[in-house]
Amino acid sequence: MGNPIWEVVQFRKKRTDEDIFKILKNVPTFSELNSKELSEVEKIIHRREYKKGEPIFRMGDPGLGMYIIITGSVNIIEEREGESATTLAVLKDGAFFGDLALLDESPRSASVIAGENSEILGFFRPDFLDLLYRKPRLGIKILFSLSKVIGERLRRTNEQLSALKANEGYTNG
Amino acid sequence: MDDYAFQLYNHIVKMFWRVFAILLGIAVVIVVFPYVKSVLVMFVFALLLAVLLNPVVDFLESHGVHRGLAILITMLLIIGIIAFTVSRIIPGIISAVESLSSKLQSNVITDLNKRIETFFAVHFNNAELARNVTSKVNEFGLKLLGNMAEFFKSVGGFLASVAIVPFVTFFIIKDIRIFKRELISKIPNKYFEMSLNVLQKVGHQVSKYIQGQATDAFIVGCLSVLGLFIINQVFDNPVSQFVFIGMIAGVANLIPYLGPIVGAVPALLVAILSNPPNLGVVLLWIVITFVLVQVIDNSFVSPMVVSKSVDMHPLTVVIVVIIGGNLAGAVGMLFAVPVTGIIKVTATEVIWGLKNYQLN
Repeated sequence: MGNPIWEVVQFRKKRTDEDIFKILKNVPTFSELNSKELSEVEKIIHRREYKKGEPIFRMGDPGLGMYIIITGSVNIIEEREGESATTLAVLKDGAFFGDLALLDESPRSASVIAGENSEILGFFRPDFLDLLYRKPRLGIKILFSLSKVIGERLRRTNEQLSALKANEGYTNG
Repeated sequence: MDDYAFQLYNHIVKMFWRVFAILLGIAVVIVVFPYVKSVLVMFVFALLLAVLLNPVVDFLESHGVHRGLAILITMLLIIGIIAFTVSRIIPGIISAVESLSSKLQSNVITDLNKRIETFFAVHFNNAELARNVTSKVNEFGLKLLGNMAEFFKSVGGFLASVAIVPFVTFFIIKDIRIFKRELISKIPNKYFEMSLNVLQKVGHQVSKYIQGQATDAFIVGCLSVLGLFIINQVFDNPVSQFVFIGMIAGVANLIPYLGPIVGAVPALLVAILSNPPNLGVVLLWIVITFVLVQVIDNSFVSPMVVSKSVDMHPLTVVIVVIIGGNLAGAVGMLFAVPVTGIIKVTATEVIWGLKNYQLN
């Protein structure tokens, strides 16, 4: 007969891992991965807790990687010198941000501040590049999904730009 | 005003405790250091080995081998190579030392003294100068032999304490990511991204530096062995144990500026003690060989394999080598420059992090 204390601990750990798998599965970057591959990703992600008002990163900081919200919410804020901060968006449970930083170290284009006490997962470029070298099949899968997300975003931006241009032409004409 | 005085008082008290804590920390390190020195040296050695072997493990893992198995294969391979090399070289060294001592007993130094005295008597007609020179040669020879004995004693002690190194290395390679993640998890949110980024950059630079130094040492060792082999072929084996001596030259090359001289000394010594008929020419060729190896190293090998981010001023090298020697003997001297290189890279990256991240 097993020790009930350890059974509870193990059950809780398993349940938490499964929760994280579920959350990761809902992020487009990891949606194509099977459970074995997700467990490899789980080994290199960082779990952090932020109090309300605490910055996750600041505008202008070197980009390091992406974050996924497990619980809570964050505010995406644009901070300009001499101007008041503008909230661009509020992201809640399951949302992700900063994924472009998986590709390069370009400065962050906005600040992200915890809107309430939040639990957040971080997946960072150094760990991703290491994974890409050690497990190329898995790395390429993630990279491919990331390309699809970025491609989709570019397509939508192009559509919006075209619509805007057409609108301007219509107004001017 | 009172308020200002109170703030100043608070500030001074805070400063006092900070300085006190730093001084206490330094005192604790000084007191504790002698007790943990051997463990620390062993850990540094295991860490260096882990950094050197990690690329091989990563390579095997990228080809589908399970990480644990990849580490085991790499470790067994390296232990096998070391055991084979030691088993081939040690008996040779023992016999060389035996023949060396028998040669010393047969008064090689006295013979050399006689030669010098005759040389001065014939060319300068000055017996006193000759006596001075020979007494200096004797003094130098005895000092050198004493230093060599001390060096081997310290290396022997070191080797005895590193039996556990493979064990520590195995776990460092296997669990380095877990250690890193655990370490990072303890860092406050404010410094989290900066610490992660700096830690990664430091790890990358340090690995590159250590791997570069090791490759450089290996190539210099091979070139020295090749040079001494050719000398042996041309001059009827004046340098016995040339493989071991070449390897010493490679390892000594880790110390910039001083290393090449340290590397050439054993070859010159062995040649002098074997006392071939054309000793002057042999010594000249040994010096030419080591100069040539250095030219090749500095012109081609080093620029390609060693990171330039840790270039050091010659004065810095001399100072850190002396400090390393005082702290941990011959091993300390050997590791002084790489450890200083690591500290330099770390400081550079931390300054980069502090400049680029907004920590307010």
